[in-house]
Amino acid sequence: MLTFISYWRAAAIVLNDLASSAFYACGIAEQAIGKSAPWFIVGVMLFSFTVRAVYVESCSMFVRGGVYRVVKEALGGTLAKISVSALMFDYILTGPISGVSAGQYIAGLVNEVFITADAHGWIPRAVHNIFDGTPQLNVNWTSVILALAVTIYFWWENIKGIHESSEKALRVMQITTVMVVILLAWSAITVAKGGAQSVPLPTPENLHFTKESLGFLSHRFPGQSLPSLFGVLGILIAFGHSVLAMSGEESLAQVNRELAHPKLKNLKRAAIVIAIYSFVFTGLSALLSVMLIPDAVRVPVYKDNLIAGLAMYMWGPQILRLLFRGFVVVVGFLILSGAVNTAIIGSNGVLNRVSEDGVLADWFRFPHRRYGTSHRIINLIVLLQILTILASRGNVYVLGEAYAFGVIWSFTFNSLAMLVLRFKYKGIRGWKVPPNITIGGYEIPLGLLSVFLVLLATALINLFTKSVATVAGVSFAIVFFLIFTVSERVNRKKFALAEQQMKDHFQLLQRDTVERDALNIRAGNVLVPVRDYNTLAHLRWALERINTTDQDVVVMSARVSRFGAGAYDLAMEQIFSDYEQTLFTRAVSVAESFGKHVSLLVVPATDVWSAIVQTAHNLDSSEVVAGLSSKMTPPEQAFELGRAWESIPEPKGQFVLQIVRPGNTVDTFRIGPHTPTMKNEDVILLHRLWLNITREQGLEKVHHHDIMTEALTRFARDYGAGRDREEIIKELRRTAADSGITLPRRIADQIQTVQPEPTRSNPDTKPKKS
Amino acid sequence: MPLVVTLVARLLETMFVIGSIGSVAVLVLSGIEDLKTLLGREESEHS
Repeated sequence: MLTFISYWRAAAIVLNDLASSAFYACGIAEQAIGKSAPWFIVGVMLFSFTVRAVYVESCSMFVRGGVYRVVKEALGGTLAKISVSALMFDYILTGPISGVSAGQYIAGLVNEVFITADAHGWIPRAVHNIFDGTPQLNVNWTSVILALAVTIYFWWENIKGIHESSEKALRVMQITTVMVVILLAWSAITVAKGGAQSVPLPTPENLHFTKESLGFLSHRFPGQSLPSLFGVLGILIAFGHSVLAMSGEESLAQVNRELAHPKLKNLKRAAIVIAIYSFVFTGLSALLSVMLIPDAVRVPVYKDNLIAGLAMYMWGPQILRLLFRGFVVVVGFLILSGAVNTAIIGSNGVLNRVSEDGVLADWFRFPHRRYGTSHRIINLIVLLQILTILASRGNVYVLGEAYAFGVIWSFTFNSLAMLVLRFKYKGIRGWKVPPNITIGGYEIPLGLLSVFLVLLATALINLFTKSVATVAGVSFAIVFFLIFTVSERVNRKKFALAEQQMKDHFQLLQRDTVERDALNIRAGNVLVPVRDYNTLAHLRWALERINTTDQDVVVMSARVSRFGAGAYDLAMEQIFSDYEQTLFTRAVSVAESFGKHVSLLVVPATDVWSAIVQTAHNLDSSEVVAGLSSKMTPPEQAFELGRAWESIPEPKGQFVLQIVRPGNTVDTFRIGPHTPTMKNEDVILLHRLWLNITREQGLEKVHHHDIMTEALTRFARDYGAGRDREEIIKELRRTAADSGITLPRRIADQIQTVQPEPTRSNPDTKPKKS
Repeated sequence: MPLVVTLVARLLETMFVIGSIGSVAVLVLSGIEDLKTLLGREESEHS
């Protein structure tokens, strides 16, 4: 049961990661290969169209299981583990490079402001004396501190279970678009007014490698010019130093499952938007930065905040340029810190899936006692990110080189897996990378093969030219490979035992939709959502008062896979994992202690509220009995449930929500339209009106409800026509404040006012019942 | 320069060049499909 999003929102989520590369990719590439770097960035962005095509094919395959299972199916267990390690390296590095880069932009701006202020004599002499000149921040260490602050902030948000908002991503991209439009338009004016320097063509003779950018090859061929030695190889090396411009493309697979119907069409549309946007932003801003920023300052001063440098070399007054630079920094901070969050969510999603695949011990996935999140995985990811930030000491170039390792190898493994699956997987595919030719009945995937060849050649050359990345990436991959291998062995033993226990205790039935008849549950049943096996007091409360011979009790666990959970749906045994088994064993023992029968149900979902409401709707439940949330008050829980209820299509039934607090006090809410509870003074007013009206001639037989109908009709007319709308809203706000009732409570009571994103039941939903 | 290094270098160059030519074909063909998708002329959800 998924909450679906439009392709615009999906594109915005991916672009929050992909477009953030524009802030650092060209600076890193130019340091490595010289002034012709922008052409390689443009080339990489064009090539990213083809990588995107591979991801579209990968997402259009109707397979179940996580990334590990799918790659294992194609390449075998060992390569699958290496592939997942590379993907993890990519995700974990996304956070530090984005955080440090955001810090570089902020520190650069602060220093620029100090310089400008000093030039105008605005810095007091005393401050000047303390700093022995113009006050300046240490850019790298300031970046480290800011990156740590952003990472720790998002760590805590993710521990609490941050709701990944596509709305927020869309807003960030809208602001970024404003910046991109100003940047391009202003750059065009600048070029028209003052001309621009040319960007050297991407030929071997224009490439200038440093000792660092040749990595291991610099020891092998000291003092020799590799481009002149090899020609095309030089181009390949330069291409390898520019690939991180397309980092973030893998996020396309992470949003795939959330896309609204028609899925494939929307996936392709999102992919087009992503490709065009990132080409325009990353490609053109790279070209413009070399065209407009003088050579003397571009690398020495602005290498780590190139777009900020571009803002400073626009045509126009300095104050305007400084203001625009401030805007660039704000946008950069928004998008780059968003990428830090995406990195944590993405890594968490991948490791959760790997754990579901049985390659990571279940211990990692154990839910947080209070927030229900996979806190151990989040802690591990953030710890690795913090160590990376500290080890980098704020050096974006080193981080970029390492990051490129993860990016290129995860793309390479993905394309190789897709290539092999063309021959091994004969199931339905929504789309195939063109061109494909058929010879003698065999389809040759020329397009896929071509993309794979470029990726593999780039990944291999990067092994030689990026020494730091190779050492760091290979070490990381070995550590993760060992963790995965040991976990898999432990899990295999545990799974054999668990499988036997499941056969003994639970009869698993798999369905694509939740249907009452198929599950043999009577209408008017009571649905009891459960999450933590230590907090089943609400189940006890329900069983105490329900006679299960008259009314069924359905215990439901929503298997929430949040954004970033992966491109593929869960397989059956992944949904009913160790944790669900323990949870249901406890639920059954509670039911047995009352001598009552309960039905058990696991529902995969991205949003727990939608899952509860959709299940209650499909099962014709009359009541939902929930425990008290650790994060919300009962009215807030009712509000969330009411909002989810609003988004399911008509016809839909109403139900009563009972929230059982510790100590068995219960808050009751009606979900759906219902007769409101009237205050005593309102009843008296209505009665007084009725007395007066019935004294009028011809109105003797008027009822109380006729007066209510007339009053509401007039209210709706005044409110809807907009005549007294503002006044009505003001009055209502005053009433709400006077009665001391919080807004969620009022909305929960009068559930009709919220218009959330549309929600649909997922055809792939697979409940299980014992 | 050792023969092995030259061979590896030539192999990587060949992979890169052949792959790049094929990738241009992917770019053009998927670009045409993208245009159709954007203009709403795509025929069916699944091929």
